Amino acid sequence: MDSEKPIVFAIDDDASMREALSRLFRSIGIRASIFSSAEEFLEFKRPDVPAALVLDVRLPGLSGLELQRELNGSGIPIIYITGHGDIPMSVQAMKAGAVEFLTKPFRDQVLLDAIAVAIKRDRENRKEQSEIAECRARYGLLTQREREVLQHVVEGLLNKQIAARLGTSEFTVKIHRKGVMQKMKAGSVPELVRMAQKCGCHL
Amino acid sequence: MFTSSGKAVWGRVFSSYFVAIMVVWLAVLITLCLGPALKATVTFFFCAVMISSWYGGLCPGLLTSFLSWLALDYYFIPPLYSLGIGPAELPDMLAFSATALFISWLNSDQRKVKSSLQQSRDVLDARVRERTADLKRANLQLQSEIAERRAAEEGLLQAQNELARIARITTMGELAASIAHELNQPLGSIVVNGDACLRWLEGVPPDLEEARQAVEAIIRDGTRAGDVLVRTRKLVRPDDGMRERLDINSVVQEVITWTNDKLQRSGVRLRIELQEDPPPVTVDRVQLQQVILNLVMNAIEAMLEVSQHSRVLWIRTERQVLGKLLVQIADSGAGIDPKHSSRIFEPFYTTKTNGIGMGLTISRSIIEAHGGRLWVVEAERGSTFCFTLPIDRERRRG
Repeated sequence: MDSEKPIVFAIDDDASMREALSRLFRSIGIRASIFSSAEEFLEFKRPDVPAALVLDVRLPGLSGLELQRELNGSGIPIIYITGHGDIPMSVQAMKAGAVEFLTKPFRDQVLLDAIAVAIKRDRENRKEQSEIAECRARYGLLTQREREVLQHVVEGLLNKQIAARLGTSEFTVKIHRKGVMQKMKAGSVPELVRMAQKCGCHL
Repeated sequence: MFTSSGKAVWGRVFSSYFVAIMVVWLAVLITLCLGPALKATVTFFFCAVMISSWYGGLCPGLLTSFLSWLALDYYFIPPLYSLGIGPAELPDMLAFSATALFISWLNSDQRKVKSSLQQSRDVLDARVRERTADLKRANLQLQSEIAERRAAEEGLLQAQNELARIARITTMGELAASIAHELNQPLGSIVVNGDACLRWLEGVPPDLEEARQAVEAIIRDGTRAGDVLVRTRKLVRPDDGMRERLDINSVVQEVITWTNDKLQRSGVRLRIELQEDPPPVTVDRVQLQQVILNLVMNAIEAMLEVSQHSRVLWIRTERQVLGKLLVQIADSGAGIDPKHSSRIFEPFYTTKTNGIGMGLTISRSIIEAHGGRLWVVEAERGSTFCFTLPIDRERRRG
């Protein structure tokens, strides 16, 4: 997955700024896709790779901040650029989870650093998400009984206690427990607990 | 009559009848003591009836009359110490009875009149007091309302001033923000293009075609930024489209009308010396009003620091020899500090706590756009702002 080439999206209503950004990204060899409005960006089918979004705050139609609210589910990291250096807006943007807020004119290195941070963040995010997805998939393989055993293991109960709770023998519990460890591909009990917490299976 | 509490009423009735009995006894005792020295035996009994009916009213008076009648019969009319009247004494006794009854009735009637008079006087008194209190209250209320209204008027004026100032600043602020945004767009592109250009040049081998395109984009954006400034200048300094031929004195008069209130409030005396029949000038009326208003307001504010009796605003218009019209606005304020005097026409330079430092800058640019000049002269007391405007040529020829 790490081998996937990341992509940078940029949205700016100013044509010459779009052109300049595209030239800059090309000069460094960054894969980029540039749009003139938020709506155009939303219609675009994004490839499933780590990404960063360079976003002009003031856009015709859907504004930058509104787009950020719209995108919050997908978790793509955002770098704002603006011609107005207004503080309230930058505070709002940073609170909503923006990586950086740049005021035009800005130097390329500042933008590239922010993009690097954003892509790193997105990569981690995506890794986390895929781990959770995998964990959930493995959890899906467990039988009802195994899930009950898993929940009690996570709560920190001993085999004997689990057997008493479930009204079965300690031996049966041991067998279920082994099945859980195999299906969840957990090497140890602490790892199993971590996995359970990550995908929220124990709840 | 029975208006007061029961106890007091019964006390009064009891004492009336007590007095009625006592005075009869007194009359008997006095008459017995004086004996033959007294010519008419009935005198003190009349006195008793009079006192009793005066003090207690009709019924005690009648009781006294009756007791007196018995006492006279018993003690003084033969046969003594027994009741019973002979025919010889009958007329006298009847006369006594009639007189006593009359006295009782008269006195009690008098009493009634007097007490009702007293009562109505009390009522009147109470009403007068009440009415006086009402008037006093109304008066107080009126006074507080007047004070309130005066405060409200004062507040309104202050709010108006504040609003005007905020409107000015907001307009300036919005203008500045919009200019900044308009300029930051091309500047942003220029910097990004410049950086990209450097990267293409630093490549091995350098890509000159890409670099050239970047430089072309830079030139285009630079021109765009220049256009923004040209547009802004046009916005701030409109062309001659709004100009009309007019009498400078009428513009001065208009401004004075607007500022009259402020002048009076600030205790400033106004002296006007206007050129008689001034030659017309071709100007933008609103802009010229703006200049004069600005200078007058500055002058008033400059005088707030000096004592009130020496605040004089002096406005003159005068035709000059070289086809120019001179307008002078002088104040008797503290004058301009030498360390500020060279900078007062600079934009955003202000010595006021609530100023934005654009008044004189804009005024000067307006006057210069009309082909005139605006300058300041330091006088012995205060400062004098002068500006000239060119006189219309047609008129000068004629």
